[in-house]
Amino acid sequence: MVRRILSLRAGRLAAGILSAIALLAIFGPLLAPDNPLGSSSKTLAGPSGQHWLGTDYLGRDVFSRLLDGSRDSVVGAVEVALVALVVGVIPGLLSVYLGRVFEWTSLRLADTLISLPFLVFAVAVTALLGNGITQAMLVVGVLVSPVFFRVSRAATLAVARSQYVEVALISGASVNWIVRRHVWVKVLPAVAVALAQTMGVGFIVVSSLSFLGIGVQPPAPTWGGLLASDLNYLHYQPWAPVAPSVLIMATVWGCNLLADAIRDVSGETGRALINTRKAQANGLGAKRIPVEGRV
Amino acid sequence: MTILSELRTPHAVPTLPDEIVLALRDVRIYDQVNDREIVHGISFELTPGRVVGIVGESGSGKTLTCRAALGILPEHFAISGGSIEITGQEIAGLTPEQWTGLRGSTISAVFQDPASYLNPSIRVGSQIAEVIRVKTGAKRRQARHRALELLAAVHLRNPALVYEQYTFELSGGMLQRVLIAAAIAADPTVLIADEATTALDVTVQAEILDLLADLQERIGLALLVVSHDLAVVAQLCDEVLVMREGEVVEQGPTAEVLHNPKHEYTRMLIAEHEQYGLERYLEAEADRDGGLTRAG
Amino acid sequence: MPADAVLQVTDLDVHYGKGRRRAQALDGVSLEVRRGETVGLIGETGSGKSTLARTILGLVPASAGRVVIDGEEVSGYRQRQWRTLRRRGVVQYVFQDPLRSLDPDVTIADSLIEPLLIRGVARGEALVRVRPLLERVRLDEELLARLPGELSGGQRQRVAVARALVTEPALVILDEPVSALDSANRVEVLEILKELRTSGVALVFISHDLGSVAGVADRVAVMYQGRLVETGTTREVITAPQHVYTRLLIGSAPTLRSGAASRADRDALRAALLTA
Ligand SMILES: Nc1ncnc2c1ncn2[C@@H]1O[C@H](COP(=O)(O)OP(=O)(O)OP(=O)(O)O)[C@@H](O)[C@H]1O
Ligand SMILES: Nc1ncnc2c1ncn2[C@@H]1O[C@H](COP(=O)(O)OP(=O)(O)OP(=O)(O)O)[C@@H](O)[C@H]1O
Ligand SMILES: [Mg+2]
Ligand SMILES: [Mg+2]
Repeated sequence: MVRRILSLRAGRLAAGILSAIALLAIFGPLLAPDNPLGSSSKTLAGPSGQHWLGTDYLGRDVFSRLLDGSRDSVVGAVEVALVALVVGVIPGLLSVYLGRVFEWTSLRLADTLISLPFLVFAVAVTALLGNGITQAMLVVGVLVSPVFFRVSRAATLAVARSQYVEVALISGASVNWIVRRHVWVKVLPAVAVALAQTMGVGFIVVSSLSFLGIGVQPPAPTWGGLLASDLNYLHYQPWAPVAPSVLIMATVWGCNLLADAIRDVSGETGRALINTRKAQANGLGAKRIPVEGRV
Repeated sequence: MTILSELRTPHAVPTLPDEIVLALRDVRIYDQVNDREIVHGISFELTPGRVVGIVGESGSGKTLTCRAALGILPEHFAISGGSIEITGQEIAGLTPEQWTGLRGSTISAVFQDPASYLNPSIRVGSQIAEVIRVKTGAKRRQARHRALELLAAVHLRNPALVYEQYTFELSGGMLQRVLIAAAIAADPTVLIADEATTALDVTVQAEILDLLADLQERIGLALLVVSHDLAVVAQLCDEVLVMREGEVVEQGPTAEVLHNPKHEYTRMLIAEHEQYGLERYLEAEADRDGGLTRAG
Repeated sequence: MPADAVLQVTDLDVHYGKGRRRAQALDGVSLEVRRGETVGLIGETGSGKSTLARTILGLVPASAGRVVIDGEEVSGYRQRQWRTLRRRGVVQYVFQDPLRSLDPDVTIADSLIEPLLIRGVARGEALVRVRPLLERVRLDEELLARLPGELSGGQRQRVAVARALVTEPALVILDEPVSALDSANRVEVLEILKELRTSGVALVFISHDLGSVAGVADRVAVMYQGRLVETGTTREVITAPQHVYTRLLIGSAPTLRSGAASRADRDALRAALLTA
């Protein structure tokens, strides 16, 4: 799989971008030339030899803040995505196989999570579990998990009704076998696309939560946080949002490229499922999941 | 005269039995993109009430030949040799308007997949009535009346009910009848049936073939029947063309081709039937019966 | 029960749906298949042929009746019991459309050995066991590394047949195995089925076309609207059909030298069938 992904141009590009971002997340805080929190009198300065990307409204070095914030930003977004993945995909797969009770409960739970007021839930959970980035991202992850639940359930349902799964059943295959052998490959590409999208959402959410004092505490920098404050001073520094935007976009783009590559190497089935998911996202009836083969 | 008035008088003798309604003379079809000839010369003539059949393996060019006669060759295919005449008119110089006038009212066709030729969101009856209105200029009520008559003419049991139904409410055999009804709505003289029964159950296939034979006998419809099954063609046709890779490998009166096949491919098609069809049992039986009667 | 029956179905009823949408798909079907014989199961669309096959395999629950497979009464079996039975690979199934019954993302080799892997046979050994089968279905070894999408329809169906044979079953049910194939491929698959008969495996050959079954089957069972209306040797059924539907079916099969009278006969039979 990995080799097949890397044989595609999109796959190599994605790998390049994402490893650059990963390096940034690991070494960024160590590389920051200035104290990311140390303010100075030179507020809202333009780029210069000393401050490569200028300073912000408190006179802090923007370049240092970006580098320093990369770890929290990336870790936060990855955490959101991973939590959503685990909380969403596994029940999504199992809801097809574990019988009526599990199916009903998980479906209702997913509906509930979607309708839950996001901020109230976030505040409540952090009050309960303590305020930290991990807890905050746990909340976000759980809240976006219904997306993964639905995607993986839809993909699994389509495969579960296909004839080749029936053939395996007739040979006495267990649920475990069927999922590993037939279902997983078809679900993966759909999940990968959802994952890429969730990463993007993750960046924004990390920063908007830190506004509310949840998760990453200001003045600690994050990419999303930088972007938000830059937007407030757009009038003075119209170029300022470019740097954090580019980083966020690069990451999301890298994820999307990777998702595309995964989809492309996953064959026909994967492609068809993604397309129906896109159609659904465009508002074409949520129930129209094509059963394998009925075109 | 409408076909229905003709339908009511059985044994109506077709006008001018010797008139040639469709003639293909050494027609060649060329694929311009891949730069190759697909059909290497096919000739036959249809007169009213006559049935010509084309059999052959998949991809041998049967459908392209039909499409050429209907003036609907796919893009980048062209007739590169020979001539096609419909009721004495050479088609090479026809304008799109002239074609529109010809299709439906002189030459008409039914294909394998009836559902794809009907709109799923319009009642099938209205679609036939629409054809009638466009082709004959009939009024709405008249058209409806005639559509109902046509549905009855193709032996649908409850025409009024079928008229109000949508495609998804009808079985494959019923849909194929509806399509035949639409195809004969404007009294064509030639009907092309390209694999029109391939997707159907054997009993339903027989019903449709019987219906075609009925139309041919009663109103003198000239038929071009295409199938990959030699027996289907044999059942209906006066003349058979056997095609293989764009070549007509054998052509002649049905009985002649069946009893005295010249080409190896034809022999293979016949052998297939004798080995895997009912012939093996039925003919043995017939021989025995024949023997018994003679003996008695 | 005779000792040599691999399959015995007695008074089987099957219903689909619940409450008001409940509809009967099988009505008192009884069928017996003896070791090594080939039974053709004929009937029009919707007559319940696939339903019968799927009920035998435990994919559809029966509402009444008994199914005995290889001496084992399976009526009322639980999931776990089915799994054990299926792993023995006594009964296998071949679907009509080989493209849909082969996982598009799994190579031919892996599809072929799947039933063995499920049983716990090691991969290497499974691959060795598959080789001789390839010859039996006339498939080239180089196809093993390909995906189903890279094979022709006929090749795919031969893969499906080979996969059904890999567990050395006593009974293979083939659901319209040649309906989706063109004539050359059809003959090839029919030839393979004919050869299989000599190897002692029993076949149930489902089709809506008596013609393609006639060359292969020893006995024929005819279904009409959920009921088994007629059974007999292939010769009996074809030359002396009893039920009206069977007579219509035989009269409808396109033959090379059918008489002119048969059209009127068919009309009469259709009318008789409607009033019956
Ligand atoms: N629209 C098209 N575009 C490209 N090639 C085509 C098209 N239609 C037909 N062909 C090619 O032309 C050749 C003849 O096709 P045609 O459809 O006439 O065959 P046929 O005898 O009707 O076969 P079948 O029995 O499968 O219907 C084939 O090789 C086919 O691939
Ligand atoms: N899953 C299902 N749910 C409800 N009804 C069904 C289901 N499967 C089949 N049926 C109905 O049961 C009847 C028998 O269907 P079945 O598929 O067994 O017919 P068949 O003889 O195999 O037909 P074909 O030749 O078209 O395959 C039909 O009326 C069909 O509509
Ligand atoms: Mg064709
Ligand atoms: Mg079926």
